[in-house]
Amino acid sequence: MGRLFIKLTMIMTMVLLLFMPVNSFVKHSHDYNIDHAILAFKKDPYPVDIINIGASHSMYGYYFKPTGLSHLDLALPAQTIQYDYKLLKEYGKYLKPGGVVIVSISQITFASSETKHIGNYYKILDRNEIEPFRLMDYYSYLYLPGTNSGSLMSALAGKLKNFKWNSHQPWANNGKNYSERKYEKVEAQYREAVENNNIEQNVKQLKEIVDYCSEKGYQVILTMEPVHQSYQEYFNDEVMDRLVFQYLEALKLDVPFLDYMSDQRFTANKDYFIDPDHLNKKGRKVFSWIVYKDLKKLGYL
Amino acid sequence: MTFISIEFLLFFAIIVCVYYVIPHRFRWILLLAASYLFYASLSIQFIPLLLASTVFTYFTGIIIEKQETKKQKKKVMLAGISVLLFFLGWFKYFNFVNDSLRAIANYLGLNYTVPYQELVLPLAISFYTFQAVSYLVDIYYGKQKAERHYGYFSIFFAFFPQLVAGPIERAKKLLPQFKVEQRVNYENVTYGMKRIAWGFFKKTLIADRLAPIVSSVFDSPNPTGSQIVLATILFSIQLFADFSACSDIAIGCARMLGIKLTENFKQPHFAVSIADFWSRWHITLSTWLRDYIFVPLCKGKKKRSEIYLAIVITFLVSGIWHGAAWTFVLWGLIHGFYRVFGDYTKNSREKMVSFIQLDRSPMLHRWVKISITFLLVCFSRVFFRSDSVTHAFENAQLFLTIHSWRPSGIMKAFEIFSLLDLVIFVFFFMVVQLFQYIERKHGSTWEWLSERRVFARLAFYIFIIVSVLVFGVSGKGFVYGGF
Repeated sequence: MGRLFIKLTMIMTMVLLLFMPVNSFVKHSHDYNIDHAILAFKKDPYPVDIINIGASHSMYGYYFKPTGLSHLDLALPAQTIQYDYKLLKEYGKYLKPGGVVIVSISQITFASSETKHIGNYYKILDRNEIEPFRLMDYYSYLYLPGTNSGSLMSALAGKLKNFKWNSHQPWANNGKNYSERKYEKVEAQYREAVENNNIEQNVKQLKEIVDYCSEKGYQVILTMEPVHQSYQEYFNDEVMDRLVFQYLEALKLDVPFLDYMSDQRFTANKDYFIDPDHLNKKGRKVFSWIVYKDLKKLGYL
Repeated sequence: MTFISIEFLLFFAIIVCVYYVIPHRFRWILLLAASYLFYASLSIQFIPLLLASTVFTYFTGIIIEKQETKKQKKKVMLAGISVLLFFLGWFKYFNFVNDSLRAIANYLGLNYTVPYQELVLPLAISFYTFQAVSYLVDIYYGKQKAERHYGYFSIFFAFFPQLVAGPIERAKKLLPQFKVEQRVNYENVTYGMKRIAWGFFKKTLIADRLAPIVSSVFDSPNPTGSQIVLATILFSIQLFADFSACSDIAIGCARMLGIKLTENFKQPHFAVSIADFWSRWHITLSTWLRDYIFVPLCKGKKKRSEIYLAIVITFLVSGIWHGAAWTFVLWGLIHGFYRVFGDYTKNSREKMVSFIQLDRSPMLHRWVKISITFLLVCFSRVFFRSDSVTHAFENAQLFLTIHSWRPSGIMKAFEIFSLLDLVIFVFFFMVVQLFQYIERKHGSTWEWLSERRVFARLAFYIFIIVSVLVFGVSGKGFVYGGF
């Protein structure tokens, strides 16, 4: 048995030595640190004029620095509306009196229910807010992210951005391939949400967010970020009505809704996008100015 | 607590340590407690059913043995089997039968009022019921003595490494092993560890990596023919990796406790005929069906047609055992047809092989047979994987369309993977193929490895562990765990 012990020790030592650089690679990757801005804010908070919540469309959508507004971006990729609410409750206290909360509505707002990147919230939310919370996952995500295949793949994909099939490149076929894949994904997610009765919960959650904002005295606005025309071909009025608007209208919320999805200033201009549904640096600057001016017109700022 | 979790590995490590520390007379208590704890962690609500089935089978076995005449023994055995099958039927097949009857009644315009029942399938019920049935039948035939020690009998019924997805063991093989005092054996412990690691490797690097890719096609409302062809082939790889991994872990865990379980797979995708396939795939189920369904059905039958009918019925039972859905029934029937057709055309096929002189190149002949068998198995799995009969027929039609097999279409279909995922999958798939190749050449890859230098061996083990740790994906349990 001593022989076995020595061998096992050797194996485990080698495994650890080989694993350490992988772990470090993941720990320093962009995707693993996607919440770094929120984390930095958590460590050194300050009063803000405007907060935006939502998923990746919102995360890539706003940059208010040039407008002079102090801004907190609480949107993260594939964020469910439940986590929008949790983050708002946690960080809303830093909003200045009369500050604005931008609630971004996207194609997946009502269809999304499963938090795929739960690790993103381990550092920025209280442990009790995280559902489902598993101690083993928590510690392995924080200290051994190399064991998390999802994180590793994201880190690798981040490094190998161009290592994709030609047809999978974001602008292949003028963005139509990307938009079609995204459409199929959203449709599948929507079907699942209908089957599992998740839509109703998500709609209710949006109402809770709006009620919470009015209770706290925050000014709330719903927005929908612009997308490229190739994306609109798949997410046309009929599809959007089925995925989003029928539920939104039924809620009869007494808050303005700024829908820029088919805004002509963006739809035909690839220069504003990373891919057909996410704005790039240039795009978000332009878009944020537009939102800023519209908010002014509405008397929000 | 599933097999593929740190929790299970910690749980199992504790069990192994305690098992070898405590005296032999107490070990059955440990194994029984561990088995029930493991089952409870997965499906606590069905512990009473597991206990009831155990008690019932235990006493029925003793009662069968106590009967004086063969006729009386048979009566008790049949009553016992009926009760066990009633449990299985109620939980697994009630809604299937109910829905089918409702559909027939609707078709005939009749009034059918039996409502749908919200029934949850008890975990592992198909596996432990078959084990219990074989136990009672073996007692009836005098092949097995009724076990009087309730503790040992309960472990046989619920032994945690093989409870969830087999191998389906016979009492004759398993019970004596529990009674023998097992000592710490270096070979057993290391072999068990290797099998567990290899199971983790296949499950997390092949099966669970493929699962979402396959689902993306089968769940898609309008997949292309080439996508169906590719996804079906990938599903076959996934299913084998998934189920054989489960068996590897079960065999490995048991071996670490000194218990030898039956091998469940012998590289089934390298079978040269459907008959050969069934002697390599889920071996413990195949032999169970042979011994307890096919052989009794063939008793006294001499006509070829009667034997063929027995074959079809046996495969029908196999299909129904897998799941309460018409897709599984059809899958079973397809395999029954394959077997009958294969046997009926054996001579004419041999003549044809001779006529086209394929037999002059045994290697080529062998690979042609392997390819045809694999494609036939894949075709049947279109039914196994599809959600409904309608989808199954649509997918089968796509699978059989020549257009779906165009190389350019298949190449395009690979885009269901991301390029990165494809590279990773291909790499690990090649590793598994290399492992299997060595096994075909040398009998056992582990033995072959043990003859290599210590550094080569250690490098391979380190490679397995690092791969699982870094690239392993954990999915939602085992496919066969759902049966």
